Amino acid sequence: MSAPSRQRTPNPHLGAYYGIVASAFVSLVILLAMAEQLGWSDGAIARSLILLPLAAYLAIAVASRTLHLEDFFVSGRRVPQVYNALVLAAIAVGGTGFFAYTGAILFLGFDALAIGLGWTCGFLLAAVLFVPYLRRAGAYTLPAFFGQRFQSREARIAASVLQVAPTALLLAAEIKIAAVVASIFLPLSFWLAVLLVTLFVAAVGILGGMRSLTWSGSAEFIAGAVGLAVPLIAVSVLLTNLPAPQLTYGEMFGSLQTAETAAGMAPLAHDAIASVLPQAAPAQVTKPFLQAFGTISEAGFFVLFLCFALGTAALPSLLARSGVTRSVADQRRSTAWALLLVALFVITAPALAAFAKLLMFRDMALVPTQGLPAWLSTLSQWQLVQASDINGDGTIGAGELLIARNGVALALPVLAELPYVLTALMATAGLGIALTAAGSHLFTLGVSLADDIYGVLDRRPVELPRLMAAWAAIGACALGAISFLLIAEVDALHNVVTAFAFAAATFFPVLLLAIWWPRCTAWGALASMGTGFIILFLAVTLGGIIGVAETAVGIATASLIAAVLAAGAGVGASLYGPAPAPFDTAYYEEMRKPEGEAIFDLAQVRAATEAARATEE
Amino acid sequence: MTAELTETEQAVRDRHQLRTLAVAITTISAVLCAVGVTIVYAVSLNRLWFLHFPLGFYLLAQGLLIFAVVVAFWYVRVQERIDHTRSINEEIA
Repeated sequence: MSAPSRQRTPNPHLGAYYGIVASAFVSLVILLAMAEQLGWSDGAIARSLILLPLAAYLAIAVASRTLHLEDFFVSGRRVPQVYNALVLAAIAVGGTGFFAYTGAILFLGFDALAIGLGWTCGFLLAAVLFVPYLRRAGAYTLPAFFGQRFQSREARIAASVLQVAPTALLLAAEIKIAAVVASIFLPLSFWLAVLLVTLFVAAVGILGGMRSLTWSGSAEFIAGAVGLAVPLIAVSVLLTNLPAPQLTYGEMFGSLQTAETAAGMAPLAHDAIASVLPQAAPAQVTKPFLQAFGTISEAGFFVLFLCFALGTAALPSLLARSGVTRSVADQRRSTAWALLLVALFVITAPALAAFAKLLMFRDMALVPTQGLPAWLSTLSQWQLVQASDINGDGTIGAGELLIARNGVALALPVLAELPYVLTALMATAGLGIALTAAGSHLFTLGVSLADDIYGVLDRRPVELPRLMAAWAAIGACALGAISFLLIAEVDALHNVVTAFAFAAATFFPVLLLAIWWPRCTAWGALASMGTGFIILFLAVTLGGIIGVAETAVGIATASLIAAVLAAGAGVGASLYGPAPAPFDTAYYEEMRKPEGEAIFDLAQVRAATEAARATEE
Repeated sequence: MTAELTETEQAVRDRHQLRTLAVAITTISAVLCAVGVTIVYAVSLNRLWFLHFPLGFYLLAQGLLIFAVVVAFWYVRVQERIDHTRSINEEIA
């Protein structure tokens, strides 16, 4: 972490550093588990397990602080491929994936798998279609790439404005979900938690930009992975005697179906639920886990999958990390590693949901003979579950048990009656992942507004003002996020669907044309981005009123239609307008070369040499 | 960026771009087709069981993800070989 900026050699001690981070985190968990047995209160354990890692992440961010432009924007272009993959995976999944996606699987079972499959295949699309070429271009932001590819300030500014929609939606979702978790486990109100979380991610972004986001994000990923794995393996051992939840939860399907039937769940017809995705407020679970296409048709499943795949491939926060590794080959490999990590999470999430659903409804089936389960009071206190015998028959059926979608992951250790330290561990894991994602979205948003809009309109050849503009923009975006969360009711999962739809409609077609079609021009890029964004915006706002895009599948369908029309508009405008300038064609050819320094870096060196020569003369 | 390419260099570049396009189309279409076919036949596949899972569910929850990971690393390997060949051919040219 302390290597000179221009040196493209990663710190050889990184493995040792993160080994120490992982060991320290595991040791903290073990110590707190012992403290719990010695009589420490739940509050003290939760505070220790959440605040101490937060302090460590902040310390790493402080240690990675920088005033150097290349470090701030692209982490010095020397991040090893696997460390970059850790952060990429955390950004794609985020706290929303950790809490809301696992909850959605509990509610929808089979039908929710489209989202995880989309995330994973999105990384494959990014690795094949975009990432190596963006690394070769070497632009600091996605809008800057468009500016350089087409020699167009308009394309750069337009891309920067249009990327606000997906990035801000994701930022709000991640801060909301992190604040909800923090307010459950820390003595904070929700609004104070929003303030704390936003200040934390803004501080990390301002201190060292991409550099501190990379190194504190890697630590947060490690905590997230340990925190998800340990409670889940413990539950798996309790239920199946084997520590491999991904392989063993299938054995529980018989018991799960029995519990679902006892609770009164019956297979649904296709149109049984108007809104495909469950809401965040506590709701009843109506769909059996294994029923295929109960709330969504086969076509709807494929559309939702494709929307998430295209959205992941073109997500500005993920593509902003395309310049941080040493070479094109490293960046490609890094994306493949990120795909592997996301796939591991997506394979694991259904196990978590299946175990939680089984434990919940199995215990509910025993209510007439054994009374209410012990976990009910704890989860009711956290407002994650509500149960009441409405029809007075002495049992609690599926219709009488309301479950908060975002609380399923937190509920699992409580349902399995595991020590409290494992519940706090699950909370700190999800919080860490949410903070990584929120930090990256905030950085992408702030830096783009500063560098692609302010920087283009008021260029100064001095380093500090450019950094100061980025700091100010990150701070302003953080304030904007707090204000937005104060006035708007945010549903994290709905925000995520809309954000990925916007990324798919606005950026996927234009990236495809810019990278794979030499005839694409600045007008074509502007037409493509504008068409995709406007069509989806109209569908989401006006269409929502008349019922066109009010469900997740509706939004996904609108985004795919918008993406196709955007590609058509891009091709049409490029062919109708003037041919690309020779410089654009030369840039395209250079970008397609697999080896060599980033084009942006070469241009910087050339400009510096020319400036020095001019000064000498 | 403005240097003119010789005929041999152009041939090397075109061959590289063609092979890159071919491997990209193969990779993406393999995964998208696999997902599409699994979704269409998921209900039928669910009548079969694999590792205690209904097969359709297993493929969408795990099988296709493992396939995507394998395809991604295969793609990385093949693309690196294609890039390496271009570098060698450019040196020779």
